[in-house]
Amino acid sequence: MISPTGSFWTGGAILLFLVILGFGAFLWRAWTLVRYLRLGRVRELDRTDRLPRRLRDELVVYLGQRKLLKRPYWIRGAAHALIFWGFLVITYGTADVLLDGIAGLRLPGTETGVYVWTVDLFAVAVLASIVLAAIRRAFLRPPRMHVALDGYVILGLIATLMVTLLLFENAGVSAGALRTGQAVPPIAALLPLRFSGASAGVVFASAWWLHVITVLAFAAYLPQSKHLHIVTTLPNVFFRSTRPRGALRLVENIEEQESFGAATLRDFSWKQLLDGYTCTECGRCSDSCPALATGKPLDPQRIVLDIRDQLLREGGMLLASAEAAGTAPAQLHERKPEELWACTTCAACVEACPVTIEHIDKIVDMRRNLTMMESAAPPEAQRALTNIERAGNPWGEPREARGEWAAGLEVPTLAEKPDAEYLYFVGCAASYDRRNQRVARALAAILKSAGLSFAILGREETCNGDPARRIGNEYLWQQQAQANIEAFGRYGVRKVIASCPHCFNTIANEYPQVGGRYEVVHALQLVERLIADGKVHLSDAAARETIAYHDPCYLGRHNGIYDPPRRVLDALSGVRRVEIEPHHRERGFCCGAGGGRMWMEEKVGQRVNHRRIDQLRAAQADASKVASGCPFCLIMLEEGVGAKGLQEQVKPVDVLELVAARLETPTTAARETS
Amino acid sequence: MNILVCLKQVPDSTVRVKVAPDAKSIVTDGITWAISPYDEYAIELALEHKDADPGTTVSALTVGPARARDALRQALAMGCDDAAIVVGEAAGLGLARALAAAVRERTPDLVLCGRQASDDDQGFVGMALAEALGWPHVASVTAFKAADGGGIEIWKEIEGGHEVWKASGPVLLTVQKSAKEPRYPSLPGIMKAKKKEIPERALSDLGVDQAGPVAEVVAMQPPPARGNGVILKDGDTGALAAELARRLRDEAKVL
Repeated sequence: MISPTGSFWTGGAILLFLVILGFGAFLWRAWTLVRYLRLGRVRELDRTDRLPRRLRDELVVYLGQRKLLKRPYWIRGAAHALIFWGFLVITYGTADVLLDGIAGLRLPGTETGVYVWTVDLFAVAVLASIVLAAIRRAFLRPPRMHVALDGYVILGLIATLMVTLLLFENAGVSAGALRTGQAVPPIAALLPLRFSGASAGVVFASAWWLHVITVLAFAAYLPQSKHLHIVTTLPNVFFRSTRPRGALRLVENIEEQESFGAATLRDFSWKQLLDGYTCTECGRCSDSCPALATGKPLDPQRIVLDIRDQLLREGGMLLASAEAAGTAPAQLHERKPEELWACTTCAACVEACPVTIEHIDKIVDMRRNLTMMESAAPPEAQRALTNIERAGNPWGEPREARGEWAAGLEVPTLAEKPDAEYLYFVGCAASYDRRNQRVARALAAILKSAGLSFAILGREETCNGDPARRIGNEYLWQQQAQANIEAFGRYGVRKVIASCPHCFNTIANEYPQVGGRYEVVHALQLVERLIADGKVHLSDAAARETIAYHDPCYLGRHNGIYDPPRRVLDALSGVRRVEIEPHHRERGFCCGAGGGRMWMEEKVGQRVNHRRIDQLRAAQADASKVASGCPFCLIMLEEGVGAKGLQEQVKPVDVLELVAARLETPTTAARETS
Repeated sequence: MNILVCLKQVPDSTVRVKVAPDAKSIVTDGITWAISPYDEYAIELALEHKDADPGTTVSALTVGPARARDALRQALAMGCDDAAIVVGEAAGLGLARALAAAVRERTPDLVLCGRQASDDDQGFVGMALAEALGWPHVASVTAFKAADGGGIEIWKEIEGGHEVWKASGPVLLTVQKSAKEPRYPSLPGIMKAKKKEIPERALSDLGVDQAGPVAEVVAMQPPPARGNGVILKDGDTGALAAELARRLRDEAKVL
């Protein structure tokens, strides 16, 4: 790029002074913010492992803007990407301008035609994007977006940068500031502005100085603003959790701890606090939250911002005194804990966040405090916890009755068949809930028809612990995990089948935290494979029917299992599979039962499962069945269909039941379920 | 105020009870034990009093087999200050006398019992204990508090409402299910409870008279298994109605 020539003492010294001022202000504030981060005391375990994956994330999520360019946001995402990429390209030029202005040093490539073309193209693209962004804020305000002055200030600063850039380039050419061999800024030169003689020099110098001063003002303003995300996204993406998304953070040495969960800012980790600095207030998380959409008090964006605002407010005080505890996070006192209990841990917010903020961990950490320290879980949730503790299932059904669903099916227990290849971990719902017992029987029929060697644990099985962990009782989860791991160990279990995505997620993703490592498949993954391998033979004489597929959160978003259930449906003759547009795959909408909500009352707003049925009917009114792969989804969908009086129109089923009904040599079990 | 809660360990409500081969007792191998539900409400009432007035101490006491120690552990986890066990088998009057001997050693201001244990549903021991202590008692209590000007104000549930009683001195209350569910122990509470000493006495050391009328279970029978439901489907509405009426009259014998 071009700069006013002149000796160090005429311009360079002033510039150096301004640079020190601008970047000094940035660093001063940034250092304070870093010190605040260190208030978070919780140890992070998995923030620096798997370097290649972290670098890949930087390329794809940060540089590639992958998470911004997703439906339904891809147009505004593209505008953002242009501004961001423009920022990167032009920052290089800015560094060149500053170095040149101070010390006459040039950065490589800045004089080439390719670079000046790139700069100019981006300058125009950024300006256009800024205009779009401003119009959107002013006239098409998205409902969840947090629109404040800050946003306009940032847009104004960027616009000023682009205008002054094009202006000083244009006037600079006329003023003869181009050096020999330097490419002419192509677009700036095309502008219908013709300065000549002295005026060119004045316009060039003024625009250049205004540009430089804006850059430095920007640097000073940045850490006071949500725009800090251009800096913090870099570390926030780098340090994102490499845990599977469905795995919550382990509380280590739980019996030796004295306090549990997050009651104050100090009870979070530095990474959780960094999430707050990184939030861009875009509102995509809130946009996709099923609790918020149905009128619950939860707003995932506020969870993140409240923690950030409190950190900025109380950080100094907390740093000054190690004794000071500060106030509890807003969710624990100002607004009611109902916000926290409304979360279904469906991960729609986590999925939507362009800067990889981890909302669920914060919510669960605060729940952990309420449950383990304050004994303040909702009474129904406490009842479920007591039931898990005493009966090994959240409904409080007799432990002895766990294997009774299989009566008459000749499904062996591991005690009877210790050399079985697979353990079918049935889970509480399929063991006790009458509707879901039919799903367990369907799976047993499929596995037997495929000749697979499997067994169940029967009364030796206990709840995997998912509801306990998500309600915030980490201790009970660890006890349940240990009990199951011991039972698995008694029989040397290596391969586990789960028909419940919650069992699947917990055993596959969370048991390794406490030493349980198995090869875990969800039943639909296995059945897909058995069909592909020709081990399951399906009849083709079946009436045509239209079936909508509902993505269970713990199969889809938490574990990325979107296609196997769909492929199983597609393998069924007569089935026309349809999607619940636009809420499918990554944008699937929760049934309302996750995060322990299955056992809590839902009195505020519309019920989440009723909303789901509304979505189904709006998108696919002719679907005669809605198929899923989760016992809780099935219960919730059935309740929703029943409450809306749609039993005759649409029937909720599990994909496994559809497969079992088409088995070539139906066993007793399959006939029973069909 | 010093409150003493007497509790009984019973099979947990989630346990499917099986009658033992002797047809007089239940199979106890491998079952989950818990504090009898009304006793849990009694603990909760006492702890609520402690929450409101930190000067309160709440003690738990049981007479029973050694495994009943787990029930006391649970009471400590919920927030009781201390607990003691008298190990031995006693029932009826003998049990009430044993409890009375243990209570007298502690001089509480208030003794709480659940209104009845969920295993035998006799509802006898609380009142018998009051008698053995020579104390007044109030049954089916849902709340109590220190009364203005001394004594204890007691809310007792009656059909369609409640009565307010007042006790001036030591009193025994048998507790009814109240509005607040028994609390779930906090994790620090569970950890602390694990470390607490639970002093033990042998029933024989108390030197109480075990004589007296003793009820004996003569026989136990499980309830009959529930049969499967029947759905009438074949035929027109009139025929179905006729068939339903026939079955209700001839098979179910309810018409």
